[in-house]
Amino acid sequence: MHEELESRLREALRPTTPPPDFAARVMARVVPTQRRRATAAWWLAAGLAAAVLIAVGVQSHLKQQRDIQAGMEARREVMQALRVTNQKFDLAVRTVHEAPGV
Amino acid sequence: MSIFPKTAAAPLLAVAVTAAATSLAAGTLAPGIGTASGVASPVVTVPSAQLVLPDFSALAAKATDSVNITLDGSLLHLAAGFLNSKDPEDAATLEAIKGLQGIYVRSFTFDTDAAYREADIDGVRRQLSAPGWTRLIQTRSRKTHADVDIYMMTVNGKALGLALIASEARQFTIVNIVGAIDLDKLRKLEGQFGVPKLDLSSQKSSGP
Repeated sequence: MHEELESRLREALRPTTPPPDFAARVMARVVPTQRRRATAAWWLAAGLAAAVLIAVGVQSHLKQQRDIQAGMEARREVMQALRVTNQKFDLAVRTVHEAPGV
Repeated sequence: MSIFPKTAAAPLLAVAVTAAATSLAAGTLAPGIGTASGVASPVVTVPSAQLVLPDFSALAAKATDSVNITLDGSLLHLAAGFLNSKDPEDAATLEAIKGLQGIYVRSFTFDTDAAYREADIDGVRRQLSAPGWTRLIQTRSRKTHADVDIYMMTVNGKALGLALIASEARQFTIVNIVGAIDLDKLRKLEGQFGVPKLDLSSQKSSGP
């Protein structure tokens, strides 16, 4: 009984020589998988880079908009400050002109 | 109710234009502090023309209209970048702010008389009695109840700043310009803002 089982197992598990194209066929299946992984990694990196670029671009645009707004506000304030100054200069000079004997 | 005494008499004007005004207009200001003695001082401290302006928030709350402008050197530089040198008004403004380190304006308009007290401005007036400040113009009008004082800080004949206090019945204004102010350039702005042309150089020096 034992001998028979052992014999069957030996028969089933005996070493066999792989066919000549065995290695090539295995490699043919392995390489595309690696390529797919590399391609996926590349897309992931490109996506991340694009996201970073977009974020930097949006940030830069918003900063530029804030700078323009601050600049325009500063310009408006300069104009207003000089206008007020000149109005008060004018008030002083008008008073001088109105003074008797001037 | 006015803070000024009301009279039924013809409007009287009390005007004082100091001799400094004509000197300044003629460009003949006397040498400033530290040069008259001819003795070299080892440490020369240039006084600052920037005034410490009080917190007028209580007055701002009562005012019907208020202007609160604080422009330091960096903001003036920023504003200059937004002025078009090809536009006459902008070009004149550019010239006027060249060399300035700050412009500070506080102006409050009220809908009633005597809404503010002279004491509110006294702190500023005290600073203008410091060395270096010279009162160029002092005008007092009983007709319009408008008092205007214009001070200039000069050191070694160089203008380092200007201060203006205008108190009217329902409005008071403080302007402080810090830096090498050129009155001629400032006067070039007249008309640009709808303000009639001033004639400071022709003003007579007279007592109050």
